[in-house]
Amino acid sequence: MKRKALSIFVLLLALAAFMPAGILAQDMVELELWYHGGTQEENDETRAQVDRFNAMQDAIQVNFVELAGSLVAGTGYNDAVNAAAVAGDLPCILDLDGPNLYNYAWAGFLAPLDDYMSDDLRADILPSLIDQGLYNGKIYAMGQYDSGLALVGRVSLLEEAGLRIPTSIDDAWTLDEFNDVLASLQALDSVEYAIDLKMNYGAGEWYTYAFSPVVQGFGGDLIDGETLSGEGLLNGPEAVAAMEWIKSLFDNGYATLTPPDDNEFINGNAAMGFLGHWMATGYYEAFGDDMIVLPVVNFGARQATGMGSWAWSITTQCDNPDAAWTFMEFMLTPEEILSITNVNAAVPGRLSALAMSELFGEGGRMNIFVQQLESGIAIPRPITPGYPAVTSAFFTAMDNIIKGGDIQAELDAAVDKIAQDVADNDGYPVQG
Amino acid sequence: MRRSTGFHGHERTYAWLMSAPALIGLFLFVALPLFGGLYWSFTNKRLISPLPTKYVGLQNYQNLLGLRIIRLEPEIDPATGQARIDAEGKTIYPRTRTIVRGNPAYQGYREWFTSDVFGGRYVVIARDPTFLRSLVNTFVFVLVIVPGQGGLALLMALLVNQRLRGRYVFRTIYFSPVVTSMAVLAIVWTFLYNPDQGLINRFLSAVTFGNFQPDWLVSADSALLAIIILSAWQAAGFQMIIFLAGLQGIPQSLYEAAQIDGGNTWQQFRHVTIPQLRNTTIFVIISTTILAFRLFTQVDVMTKGGPQDATVTVVFHAVDTGFRQQKIGYGSAVTVLFFILVVTIALMQRALMKSDIEVE
Repeated sequence: MKRKALSIFVLLLALAAFMPAGILAQDMVELELWYHGGTQEENDETRAQVDRFNAMQDAIQVNFVELAGSLVAGTGYNDAVNAAAVAGDLPCILDLDGPNLYNYAWAGFLAPLDDYMSDDLRADILPSLIDQGLYNGKIYAMGQYDSGLALVGRVSLLEEAGLRIPTSIDDAWTLDEFNDVLASLQALDSVEYAIDLKMNYGAGEWYTYAFSPVVQGFGGDLIDGETLSGEGLLNGPEAVAAMEWIKSLFDNGYATLTPPDDNEFINGNAAMGFLGHWMATGYYEAFGDDMIVLPVVNFGARQATGMGSWAWSITTQCDNPDAAWTFMEFMLTPEEILSITNVNAAVPGRLSALAMSELFGEGGRMNIFVQQLESGIAIPRPITPGYPAVTSAFFTAMDNIIKGGDIQAELDAAVDKIAQDVADNDGYPVQG
Repeated sequence: MRRSTGFHGHERTYAWLMSAPALIGLFLFVALPLFGGLYWSFTNKRLISPLPTKYVGLQNYQNLLGLRIIRLEPEIDPATGQARIDAEGKTIYPRTRTIVRGNPAYQGYREWFTSDVFGGRYVVIARDPTFLRSLVNTFVFVLVIVPGQGGLALLMALLVNQRLRGRYVFRTIYFSPVVTSMAVLAIVWTFLYNPDQGLINRFLSAVTFGNFQPDWLVSADSALLAIIILSAWQAAGFQMIIFLAGLQGIPQSLYEAAQIDGGNTWQQFRHVTIPQLRNTTIFVIISTTILAFRLFTQVDVMTKGGPQDATVTVVFHAVDTGFRQQKIGYGSAVTVLFFILVVTIALMQRALMKSDIEVE
């Protein structure tokens, strides 16, 4: 027995030797934070924000852990978070991409933020961010910014082709007009093709984020919010028409399935871009005031675009949720919100920050993004714990369709896969 | 042959001590997950879910292997009582999905493929067409890659076994893909395979005057072939080294004897080199087969199993269903079937090739 006691003592000593000094110092609370790898500038700025927080007070030390994603930001990150959730190894503070939130909230991995948020704060938050963070009546995540999805063009090329240039969401191009725009731009000698659809991101969340609004614009949808079924919505005639139109862009040569990288618009190969806010800064740097953000096309049934972005949440595996909220409160100050949105061109998540922003305020060159969010054109991706199955079914179907699959059969298969997932989960019953 | 039990006293302690790292590793990372997977394959365990895990018996296996063939009856025109035909004179059939959903016995089935044979239209429906497709793809991959990659490796080994200047340089070049990360190679090859701007199609376009430019990864017809070419190129260097060792183990006297008998180069290769490489070849075939069944990384990085399931493999499907779609129980069932499959094939290969193993 004595030997056993000795060996345990030695083991403890060895463990202590490897412990960071901070844990031994009693007065400092240490929190771990996981961050997905975004663009380099975004990563640097987020890291700088954490450093600023650590420097301004002594009680809380936030340890910034950036988990490198895979080729497409976020893919590998979600796998890592899933694994950690199962292993009971989640950090205190987690950043999650919008629609993945509901699955974690349903499973009980996230702490509700309602009690922490003051009425003043809540009233100042961009409404779309509240919508996106809500599951089952409670807020589980709060982002510093929301995303924007729109068209981008060059004034010089649009004028050369003699096209009308929309200036607000109210005079967005209609479908017929847009088809004409694509044909006219395609005819220009200075560009190779009309529009860069960012297909280099591959079959994944980008397809759902960017192209499910097209399906909605044609009158279809992914699933019904109540029944969680896609029957008649995702495989109905409207969705089929939307997919036919998307496929026609590639068949007509207006867009390419295989852009070599992210720079087709910047290097002048493509006349326009269909983009998320995260490319807008680089585009502006390339073209200056010649670059213009244009509202999404009005496809007929309704005007629709994507929304939802990465947001912060506190996990139920966190020992010091109060300290974690102190950090989040800091991140949600208008100053910190602007410091990150000035870098990544995302829409600032607070009305007071928006008012202070040159980029996004009235007349700012990114103002279209704000108009789309505030007018209800932007639609959150389906709010269901089954979202991983919904998005996977959709982007797989779309990938197959644009590469030659039968449209109706692929959409039917997507609907069936979603239904199977709902059945496998007993209809995703709301938990206590 | 009773020597292995002949350890005594501290010898026995050392034997266990020395093998402990390997045994602990095998137990933790092979045996334990294997039994865990077997157990979970009879449950509906989810990765992230507040719902309790339930025992579901063989349900997962039934879902994986569920397969039926149905014959579609043409739509009958009520006015004439004849089968309706469209403008091009083709018989009109009802949508498979309508039939499947209308019959409770077909609940949970989806169309895999349709075929017009024996004067009728037959539809193969399956509960998980992707899994069945992954079996087909994996077998195609193995059947092509084992002879293809083995042949390429032997060819390279013969080349770098010549007494040429700089043969060490070539050995290094041929071996270098083996030691490079597959994820990196897959990304580089994705660029090479780019239909419009990739190096491969630029080259093909130049030599065929633009007449031959496959879509490679973008088309369901060529995606698996593209993966096969990359895989063979990447891994052949490893088998080359093994063949090279085999070649260098062949006694020079056999070639000298063959030369005295008047054998030309081809006859020497056919009647000396090939028989002498028998054991090497057996090793290469078995190891390549097992490695080939594990195809995953290239698919995950380059195609995600698409387009239209053209490149989905069993291992990819296991990861995709078990981890990304969060159905651990179901993914476990995939891996159990995969385990049975690989063990069966390895045992069959051993039985077939074991006879006449001594070559002198």
